[in-house]
Amino acid sequence: MLTRRDIIIKWSSYGAVSLLLLFLCALTLRDVRVLGVNLFLPPLLVGVVASVEDTRAGVLYALVCGVLCDMTVAGTFPCVYTLSFTAAALCCSLLAKSVLQPGVLCSLAVTALTFFFVDALNMLALFFRDRAPFSAMLSLALRETAASCLLLIVCHPVLLWLHRKFTL
Amino acid sequence: MKDFFSRYGVWILAAAAAIAVTLSVLSYFTSTSPLLENAAGIVTAPFRLAAESVSRWVEDKKHYYQEYNDLLAENEALREEVAELRANARQADRDREENRLLRELIDLREQRRDFELEAAMVLERSANNWTRTLTLNRGTAHGVAAKNMVVSSEGYLIGVVTEVGLNWCTVQTIIDTDTELGALLFRTGDVVMAEGEFALMREKRLKLTYLPSGTALLVGDYIVTSGLGGYYPSNLVIGTVESVETDDNGLAQYAVLAPMRDFDTLTEVFVIKSFDIVE
Repeated sequence: MLTRRDIIIKWSSYGAVSLLLLFLCALTLRDVRVLGVNLFLPPLLVGVVASVEDTRAGVLYALVCGVLCDMTVAGTFPCVYTLSFTAAALCCSLLAKSVLQPGVLCSLAVTALTFFFVDALNMLALFFRDRAPFSAMLSLALRETAASCLLLIVCHPVLLWLHRKFTL
Repeated sequence: MKDFFSRYGVWILAAAAAIAVTLSVLSYFTSTSPLLENAAGIVTAPFRLAAESVSRWVEDKKHYYQEYNDLLAENEALREEVAELRANARQADRDREENRLLRELIDLREQRRDFELEAAMVLERSANNWTRTLTLNRGTAHGVAAKNMVVSSEGYLIGVVTEVGLNWCTVQTIIDTDTELGALLFRTGDVVMAEGEFALMREKRLKLTYLPSGTALLVGDYIVTSGLGGYYPSNLVIGTVESVETDDNGLAQYAVLAPMRDFDTLTEVFVIKSFDIVE
């Protein structure tokens, strides 16, 4: 059982590591394009943390990430990340608790699931607003998911190490 | 021994004096070294040579280290000088670039005296793949407001400010799917609409719609802002016509516009903070 102090340290560490990863990603991968798209890190963080932590904590982390992303990253509509991250975290947590054990496969699955939520909302928004072609949006969503999954090579071990450090 | 010196001492002294006088006379009248001196020299020569060699080696080492230290100091001084020269060169480059920008800004101001411009740097390009935005280092503290237009140093339209913070603002570029601008076909004066389109956004292009019937668009035609309604300044170049296409339903035509600047390489832009409506 973690004390209040341990919980504060743990989530401060999650926050610091997330910010560091985002900063490093922005620093190094800003102009890197894989499959014609930019790599997008936040959904990975949300998915992996939600899969290793308990449901309530994971959803809260996703909510905070979503709010921060909505405040800092331009989206197709104002609260796209808050909505999609929160819903995705809930589903990821359920998936990780009931179907898959935390691991690389689980991280891949939850990342794909988080991107599904984010991209589905983006696609809906663009479809209803601009009648954007569905095939082009689907292509972008799939490429973005596939390309961003590469970031798991770094994120998965780091976040899993952090989780183990505070729970084992 | 005492008897020996008392008996032969005078003779010994006389012999030594005679030898000394003889050697003196010989050394005076000959060009070579005296015999004893020569002999002594021959015997001591190897030792002298060794001593000289060691001495020279030590002296060489001393000079070597002395020179090495001098070279190190000189090298350090040269490095500093090179660094200083490089810094000066960089500063000169920056000054030259700033000079160019200011010249362009002056030209721009001379061309459009109705504009109040604010120079800004691009801090970030959109991090996600669903929008095309730029973040600039100017905000409300610098007089920037939402719906201000942003142009390149050449005066080409880049986008419109959508969000503003104290020292930052977000610019929705003209290729973003949310863009809709009243435009003019510069050659004919026809009023059209320039708008972002999802499929074209990836190719860094936008769409020209609501083409009046009978409009003859030519590839390379300039499209400028119309300024109608007074929300945006007029006659800012949006781009040039790249191709003319037919809608999926086959009923209407649209043109594909190529912006004048590549947004991925933009570093400096100008925000039009205010303008006079030019009819």
